[in-house]
Amino acid sequence: MRSMRPLLGPILGISLLLSLTVAAATEAQTPKRGGTLRVSYGNEIAHLDFHTAPGYEMMWVAMNVGCGLVNITPDGKFVGDAAETWQMSSDGLLYTFKLRPNVLFHDGTKVDAAAVKFSIERLMDPATGSGMRTFYESVHSVEVLDPSTVQIRLKHPYAFMLHMLAGYRTGLILYSPTATQKFTLEDRKQGKPGAVVGCGPFKLVEWVKGGHLVMDRFDKYFQPGLPYLDRVIIRVIKDPVTEMAAFKNGEIDFIASFSPEHVDTMKAQNPRAQIMTGKETTPMVAQMRVTVPKDGKPMSKDRAPHPIFSDGRVRKAVGCHGIDRREIVKIAFKGQATPWVGIIPPGTLDTVDVNQMCPYDPARAKALLAEAGYGPQKPLTFELMTNTEKSVFNVIVTVIKEQMARIGVTANIRLVDKVTWMAAANQDGPWDMYVEDLLSLLTLDSNGFLSTTGAAWNHTRHTDTKVDDYYARYAREMDPVKRKAIAKEFAEFSADKLYWNTISGSPFYMVAQPWMKGYTYNAEFEVHYDKVWLDK
Amino acid sequence: MRTYILRRLLQIIPTVLMITLVVFLMMQSIPGDPVVSLLGDAYTEENAIRARQEYGLDKPIMVQYFIWLGKLVRGDWGASILSGRPVLQDVLVRLPVTLELIVLSMAVALAIAIPAAIIGALRQNTWADYTATSVAMVGVSVPEFFLGVLLLLVFSVGLGGLLPSSGWVYFPGTCQTVVCAASLWGNTQHVLMPAIALGVGRAALLTRLLRASMLEVIRTEYVTTARAKGLSERPVVLKHALKNALIPTVTVMGLQVGFLIGGAIVVETLFAMPGLGTFGIDAIIARDYQQVQGFALITAIAFVVINLIVDLTYTFLDPRIRYA
Repeated sequence: MRSMRPLLGPILGISLLLSLTVAAATEAQTPKRGGTLRVSYGNEIAHLDFHTAPGYEMMWVAMNVGCGLVNITPDGKFVGDAAETWQMSSDGLLYTFKLRPNVLFHDGTKVDAAAVKFSIERLMDPATGSGMRTFYESVHSVEVLDPSTVQIRLKHPYAFMLHMLAGYRTGLILYSPTATQKFTLEDRKQGKPGAVVGCGPFKLVEWVKGGHLVMDRFDKYFQPGLPYLDRVIIRVIKDPVTEMAAFKNGEIDFIASFSPEHVDTMKAQNPRAQIMTGKETTPMVAQMRVTVPKDGKPMSKDRAPHPIFSDGRVRKAVGCHGIDRREIVKIAFKGQATPWVGIIPPGTLDTVDVNQMCPYDPARAKALLAEAGYGPQKPLTFELMTNTEKSVFNVIVTVIKEQMARIGVTANIRLVDKVTWMAAANQDGPWDMYVEDLLSLLTLDSNGFLSTTGAAWNHTRHTDTKVDDYYARYAREMDPVKRKAIAKEFAEFSADKLYWNTISGSPFYMVAQPWMKGYTYNAEFEVHYDKVWLDK
Repeated sequence: MRTYILRRLLQIIPTVLMITLVVFLMMQSIPGDPVVSLLGDAYTEENAIRARQEYGLDKPIMVQYFIWLGKLVRGDWGASILSGRPVLQDVLVRLPVTLELIVLSMAVALAIAIPAAIIGALRQNTWADYTATSVAMVGVSVPEFFLGVLLLLVFSVGLGGLLPSSGWVYFPGTCQTVVCAASLWGNTQHVLMPAIALGVGRAALLTRLLRASMLEVIRTEYVTTARAKGLSERPVVLKHALKNALIPTVTVMGLQVGFLIGGAIVVETLFAMPGLGTFGIDAIIARDYQQVQGFALITAIAFVVINLIVDLTYTFLDPRIRYA
């Protein structure tokens, strides 16, 4: 015993030190309440009617001011939002949601089954003009069973009902019937006080277009103790250099969408910054026009083949074997993306790698072009359009132009602003090929919005109804294994036909200060600040 | 004098109307469609038709213009197609930011130009003159965005965040929003870099102009007379020479307002300032016709009014000038 005595002091000292260290670590991880999160957006918010406004910037506000029935986690699990539980009938035609008893809208009214019915019916109403409407095509009716139980009846099984409610665009955002009827659409769009009423963790305080958007904690939020933050202030900083300077200066805590080409600089300047990214769920595409209006009138149902790309051999020569996807990724994304051919990007549910169907092969491309009648005597020339929204588009079209020259094809670059591109693409205007990265896709099903024959965003204007059949079969198949098989078949069909021409995934980055804690990265799909806290 | 001012003010009306008409026709002629911006991923043919009817975009161009004009006469500047927000309300929120930027950038320009021009003129063909002239040449050659980025890298990044990189703190009393930061020091910190970025180019131009003007004036007989009377150099230069040499400079200053508004678009975007410049460029990019009209209207009014003020300052600088 005597021999132990000299060690007692150091042992006690070390124990005390250890316990203090553990206590400090525990304290550091205990969320702190209060503070203001300063967020930077790269683009302006269009307006604040969540059911109709375009753009991710609006969606990321909607997800925090509004609440829905369910949310989706990064690993694809569904968690209840206003809904406490839910179940699907065995035939897949009936979804029953049991609502939490304590969910309130910011105007104090209760989130009940009637509010859910009101919101879904508003989205489905053609007069609303919502971009979400197309996703509710399978919904037959919404029934109120009792104030806390709502039932969605479908016309046919729809395997992605919960995905859609959780993460297609904004997901379902519930509107307060009282506030919606009290204020006009214009009031809501402008973000007038009291007009934008949700049931999310933050309530809208003020939106000054071009200035800031302010959201404050909703004290009666149904999740006890949440949100931790007192306030979220969103500012628009369009220039990435300024955004990086503001971040380095500590003027902003979170960059909601950071340009991939500046990630290395950001890392070098801010070694402690949390740079978040994940699986690539946005496709970078080089779309080729398949049909044009026969009578010259845009959107005419009477279609004629596109003079160049209606020929499948030319599509294959140019879009499949003529484009070196690896080189594009190496130059445009510094290798930080995945070369891809499949109809949906590498990170989207049920994606299939069909890259082997389109190997870079200039000789084969030339042979196909010759077969289609192009060669030195009749050189192929087309217009390659892109827009100025992201500088990476410009790099990609430049690389493609060079790659086309290698197979004897001239691609004339046409650089336009985003609205001109959207007008040309959406309104059946004149273009041959464009490069863009379109939308983030949670599932293959959500891509139907961009590529079925009847879709407004079917920019290539292909008329092959087999595509529609694939989407319908896939969405209605309730067995995940069979669904995966359909997805594979569809991806192979798509790589063969090239109505849709993916080049690669388009990486997405978010950047947070080291003191911003509790944020769960889930790409563009779910941007929630309710569990965020500031460790400073 | 009063009649002159009244006449000039009345002249503003046709000038401004002409400008808004030209801008309106130009906006309609460029490719793109506001409905595409408005609907975004909700774009469908039927939604587009409905939106066009709702915002009157299906009407002939001149009818649209006269509808806008009719509303304007009643004090209604229209509403943004995209956000639905009243244009006048947004203009009034943003105007103080841009006005402050323009006034201060002009102050920066004068603060550099006047001493540089005086030194250049009084020490003609010396190293001081060559330095002032060379610096002026460099200043004219450096675009606002480049100088802005340099300032940003030095003062915001390099010197450990000495100045804020972006955003805005309002000058006390000018903020019209619910949540706003307003303090004199904060405002000074935020406006300093943008004002320098915008002002240096103008300083260079004004230096060259004022130097040439000063060289002419200091050789005139009344300056020689003033010196012969035994006046010291200071009043000769500042009271007699500079005041008269300023007349062409003031004229150019008035005309420079247009360039300053153009430059404000670049500088405000770079420093993420909530001013009229970003308001205008966002409107043009989105093809938000109503907002573009609001931007054109306010800049046209500002340009004409400032030039009227410039004309009136001639009477102060040269009492021989009289307006009737």
